[in-house]
Amino acid sequence: MVDKDASLTQPQRKPNADTFLPLSRVRTIMKSSMDTGLITNEVLFLMTRCTEFFVQHLAREAHTAYCGKAGGGDTLKYDHLSQLVNKTKNLEFLLQIVPEKIRVHEFQEMLRRNRANGGDDDSTSESESQSESE
Amino acid sequence: MVERIEDLNLPNAVIARLIKEALPEGSNVSKEARAAIAKAASVFAIFVTSSSTALAHKQNHKTITAKDILQTLNDLDFESFVPLLSQDLEVYRKMIKDKKESKANSKKDASTGDAATSSSNTFADAIEMVTEA
Repeated sequence: MVDKDASLTQPQRKPNADTFLPLSRVRTIMKSSMDTGLITNEVLFLMTRCTEFFVQHLAREAHTAYCGKAGGGDTLKYDHLSQLVNKTKNLEFLLQIVPEKIRVHEFQEMLRRNRANGGDDDSTSESESQSESE
Repeated sequence: MVERIEDLNLPNAVIARLIKEALPEGSNVSKEARAAIAKAASVFAIFVTSSSTALAHKQNHKTITAKDILQTLNDLDFESFVPLLSQDLEVYRKMIKDKKESKANSKKDASTGDAATSSSNTFADAIEMVTEA
C-alpha cells in the first residue's frame, strides 16, 4: 500500500499523509509527558511524522559523518551515534540517552579522581550512593 | 497512564525500515545503533511534546496545536524539518476534509447503495480506528 518511491530520503519526495510509525504508540508517548492536554488527530499526525523524520535524520547524519571512515566498513555503529550526539548542538538533549561508552578502568579512574576531590560535586556523590545501595 | 516502560518504545521493525530507507543501499546498522536510535526517537517525541506544551501554556492555550509544534521545532534548531512537515500537514488536512465530504455524500447516497467511494477511504478509516483505540 505504501509507495516505495515516496521514500522520505528522496529530495523529490511526494508529500503524503501516510505514517509508518503507529499513531497509538506515539499518542502514549506524548501522554507520558507531563501536562499534555488533549491531543488532536492533526497534532498526533504531525508528531508521528516528525519523529519519523528525526529517525532518518539521525541515521543519515551519523552515517555521512562517521561511516566508512577509519576503515570501519559501511556499518552504522553505536559509537557513530554517540559521537554525533556529542558534537551536535541540537542533539544535546540526547547526551544522557546515547552516552559515549567508556571502559571500566576509565570509570574507576573517574570515581577515584572525584573522591580525591572530596566529593564536593553533588551529582557524583548522588550517583555513588545509588550504586552503593544497589 | 503508562503501565509498562516498554509502552514507550517504538516498534523495532518500523524503525529498522525507516533507517534503511535513509541510508545508501548496501549499508548496515548494528543492533546497538538501531536500539539507540529507537530510544532517541521516543525521547525526541517527549522532548518536542513538552516543549510545545510549554509554548502553548505561555500563550494561555491549554492544548497544543500544529503551529506550536512547528514553532517548537524552529526553536529547537530542527527547522530543516518544517517545510516538509508543513507540506505533509496540508495533505493530511485535505485528506480529512475529503473524507468528511465523502462521508456526508455517502449518507445522502445511502439509499442508492453507492459503494464506489468506499475503497478510496480505507486509509482514512484506518487512521480513525487507530486513533480512537
